[in-house]
Amino acid sequence: MDLFGVFDISSAGMSVEQSRLAVAASNLANARTSTGVDGTPFQPLKAVVQTTSYASVEAGLAAESLPRPVVQSVVPTEAAPRLVYDPGHPDADEKGFVSMPAVDSLSTMMELISVSRGYEANLRAFDVTRHLLQSTIDMGKSR
Amino acid sequence: MLYTTPTMALLEHAIDVSALRQSVYASNIANAAVEGYSRLDVTFDAALTQANLQTASSPASSNALPLETAAVVATGDIVKLDEEMAAMAKNALRYQVLLNAFERSLGSVRLAINEGRS
Repeated sequence: MDLFGVFDISSAGMSVEQSRLAVAASNLANARTSTGVDGTPFQPLKAVVQTTSYASVEAGLAAESLPRPVVQSVVPTEAAPRLVYDPGHPDADEKGFVSMPAVDSLSTMMELISVSRGYEANLRAFDVTRHLLQSTIDMGKSR
Repeated sequence: MLYTTPTMALLEHAIDVSALRQSVYASNIANAAVEGYSRLDVTFDAALTQANLQTASSPASSNALPLETAAVVATGDIVKLDEEMAAMAKNALRYQVLLNAFERSLGSVRLAINEGRS
């Protein structure tokens, strides 16, 4: 059993949480972007996280074959833009409504908390593995 | 090996399984954000109990379990971070205990080498 491989798994987990954080931050920052690159309002994004196949885990015990997550893609959500009444806005339609991105600030904040906890947990796992390896390396030193 | 006692072989094996557990828990924590991920676990305790029963009926065989008895299985449950952290802390303690025991059994071999002078 190789404990060194566990560092890669925890690193992959932290890297995924960082991507989720970037996506959530982008959604929050663009909450009032009524004109995106193609003239339509900004579409909230979503990080699609996948895991490597773990069908082979039953066959072997190597840490290298344990599943690790990876951000497969960042896709726009299907959420329809919400209409805000603002007749003076340059993007307002003839009735005075502006299409604003459907960014749900409440669920985005929840996502941020989840990212934070996930990152902490991965960091802790990393630290525990490091500690176990250190004790293994120090074995026999006391005599 | 020349100085490997049965106890040391057993401990070595148990340390291996504990290390496997650590990597499985770390993997569960890393994959917590993945939709549809099934929590992994190590089935070893069941095999150990069965082996204990067999050893009780024939005490002469004190052979270590083959490492293949510790299998990684998908449980089908979702990952709960708190449970995973608790399991990891428990396993880390167990790992330390096993390491200590191994170190002590090394110490007794050392005592023999030194002809009883510690």
